[in-house]
Amino acid sequence: MSNSPDLSVSFAGLTLQTPLVLLSGCVGFGEEYTRVEGWDNRNIGAVILKGTTLEPRMGNAPHRVYETPSGMLNAIGLQNPGARYVVENILPNLPHEQTQFWANANGTSPEEYAEVARIFEDSPVTAIEINISCPNVKEGGVHFGNDPRMAARVVEAMRPHTSKPLITKLSPNSADIAETARLVIEAGSDGLSVINTLVGMAVDIESRKPVINNISGGLSGPCIKPVALWKIHQTRAVAAKHNIPILGQGGITNAKDAVEFAVVGADAIGIGTGLFYDPLMCGKLLDGLSDYLNRHNLGSYTELVGSLVTNKA
Amino acid sequence: MANHQGTIFEEQAEVLAHITHPGDQFVMRVKAPKTAAKAKPGQFVHLRVSDERALRRPISIMLTDPERGTVDLLYKAIGEGTRLLSERKVGDTIPMLGPIGEPFDLSDTSKRYILIGGGVGIPPMIFAADHLYGRGGDCVVFAGSEVEFPFALKPSATLLPGVNGNAILAIRSLEEREVPSRLASNAGLYGCYEGHVPNLARDYLAALSDEERKRCVLLSCGPHPMLHAVARVGREFDLPTFLSLEEHMACGIGGCAGCVVKTVENGEEKYRRVCVDGPVFPAELLPEFA
Ligand SMILES: Cc1cc2nc3c(=O)[nH]c(=O)nc-3n(C[C@H](O)[C@H](O)[C@H](O)COP(=O)(O)OP(=O)(O)OC[C@H]3O[C@@H](n4cnc5c(N)ncnc54)[C@H](O)[C@@H]3O)c2cc1C
Ligand SMILES: Cc1cc2nc3c(=O)[nH]c(=O)nc-3n(C[C@H](O)[C@H](O)[C@H](O)COP(=O)(O)O)c2cc1C
Ligand code: FES
Repeated sequence: MSNSPDLSVSFAGLTLQTPLVLLSGCVGFGEEYTRVEGWDNRNIGAVILKGTTLEPRMGNAPHRVYETPSGMLNAIGLQNPGARYVVENILPNLPHEQTQFWANANGTSPEEYAEVARIFEDSPVTAIEINISCPNVKEGGVHFGNDPRMAARVVEAMRPHTSKPLITKLSPNSADIAETARLVIEAGSDGLSVINTLVGMAVDIESRKPVINNISGGLSGPCIKPVALWKIHQTRAVAAKHNIPILGQGGITNAKDAVEFAVVGADAIGIGTGLFYDPLMCGKLLDGLSDYLNRHNLGSYTELVGSLVTNKA
Repeated sequence: MANHQGTIFEEQAEVLAHITHPGDQFVMRVKAPKTAAKAKPGQFVHLRVSDERALRRPISIMLTDPERGTVDLLYKAIGEGTRLLSERKVGDTIPMLGPIGEPFDLSDTSKRYILIGGGVGIPPMIFAADHLYGRGGDCVVFAGSEVEFPFALKPSATLLPGVNGNAILAIRSLEEREVPSRLASNAGLYGCYEGHVPNLARDYLAALSDEERKRCVLLSCGPHPMLHAVARVGREFDLPTFLSLEEHMACGIGGCAGCVVKTVENGEEKYRRVCVDGPVFPAELLPEFA
């Protein structure tokens, strides 16, 4: 056996035991996946809880999910029991000694986002991801993500209410992702999540109705991987300039995918839809990642990050 | 932590038998010892039909043999995913998650369980009947299909009240265990009640004495129009009714809230997850069936 490479990473002032971060909306409120025999929270750097709003939300009518070529559409509509309920009734029961849990904050106004931040400030979550880019709620949501100044206003509104790292989740649908990144960093973001889902739709040709009741949904899975890599590449320069880490995500299902994201500049690796292929993929991915690092004589994951070789200056 | 930890297994299920039946129906037996050991009637498995596909396919468990470690499934090839499944050969392995979901409550030995299945909704009824037989429970199975039944059939030796004389055929495996069963079809199938299966169940219930009928509980799985009709029968006779539902799924584990159905509980509307809060729900909680 070769030495095991160091898989721990530092991210926005936190130390993650592995670079793998489970993405919001794919792993409920942190304990659903423990149903699967062999699940191990210690493979995971952090688990991001389902998008949470100030007040409870019922979410959208079904159908909410649909398979597409090499991916899926979802329009859950942020079903959640509200931030106070999460803090009072869910977080106390999570195994914080096994991994970290992060919140995913949502709102329809900067004030609501700020209130959600304040509520999570007094809780064991170690970071707050800001979902300014949810495509599935009518109000707020993606509009903040598409308008760089609105995105920055959300971050500014939250910043005074929490000492925890704020990680802003960027939309691939915005015209200039690097500019949005710059503005949200200047507004106080400690990290970036790149990317959220693209917006798409599907049609049932027998009924000629949209399959997803919400009409549009967020597209995720391997089909968005090339877009995600490119958006990370575009964001990387501004993030590096401010020493801000990137949580790369979009269609990662195996170690090869993870290495690609790391090379392009993902300081941590987000896993969402990949869990639907294989709920036990994280352990396998880490084994593959260690093999790769050994093969390339790299002592740690961090050495791989941003090591892209290009001919362009 | 909740007590459901470690209750779902990811197994490489080996195909032991795969039999084609008329109407694009397939019966598949796989080796999946952990699922076979733990599965209960009403639960399902989540199958990865291809490495290229993001989402698995949910299929009900029809029968298990805990000793041999086998799980039987019945499915209909209706789309791309189930077609891919139908191409699997004996000896292939299929990544399979199971058993998943809240099973039927079959625990009350004072009850008679009326099991009403339609098409590929029949499997959970077979499993429930097998479970009840093993425990000396009381049940009757009514199964409906518009294509030939994917089971061996034989004339029944028992009479059922209210069931007309033409409906003589029963499911052989149940008949051999003295579990009464009858079939319904609109396709003119020999030996079957001509009509919808909920009407067959209704005729039976109507012919029971009040005393006997009060002991009955309706359990059903099948297409939506059929479930609506079963819910109506339940309301007519004021009987507890439990329906097994279907909805598109992503994770199949409770993590994505993709598979929901609307419920009303204590006057409050909610979306519940079909995968882990169901697939079985009391009809009275479902506004769609109220
Ligand atoms: C709990 C449960 C138990 C089931 N048990 C059985 C069974 O025992 N036998 C059987 O033949 N079928 C069963 N089904 C239905 C079966 O899952 C679908 O027929 C199958 O998913 C269709 O996939 P497809 O790719 O062939 O069809 P497509 O229509 O091409 O599927 C497209 C997408 O929609 C989803 N989808 C389409 N129809 C359904 C449906 N009715 N339910 C859930 N998802 C659907 C698919 O999973 C896929 O993601 C069950 C469904 C559920 C939820
Ligand atoms: C079912 C589902 C629900 C999601 N819900 C949320 C959410 O509540 N908040 C959020 O920020 N992102 C949400 N997302 C987006 C994911 O967190 C992730 O950014 C995206 O799916 C891309 O990664 P993937 O391809 O690995 O899934 C959701 C994605 C899926 C598939
Ligand atoms: S399919 Fe994900 S919660 Fe049911």
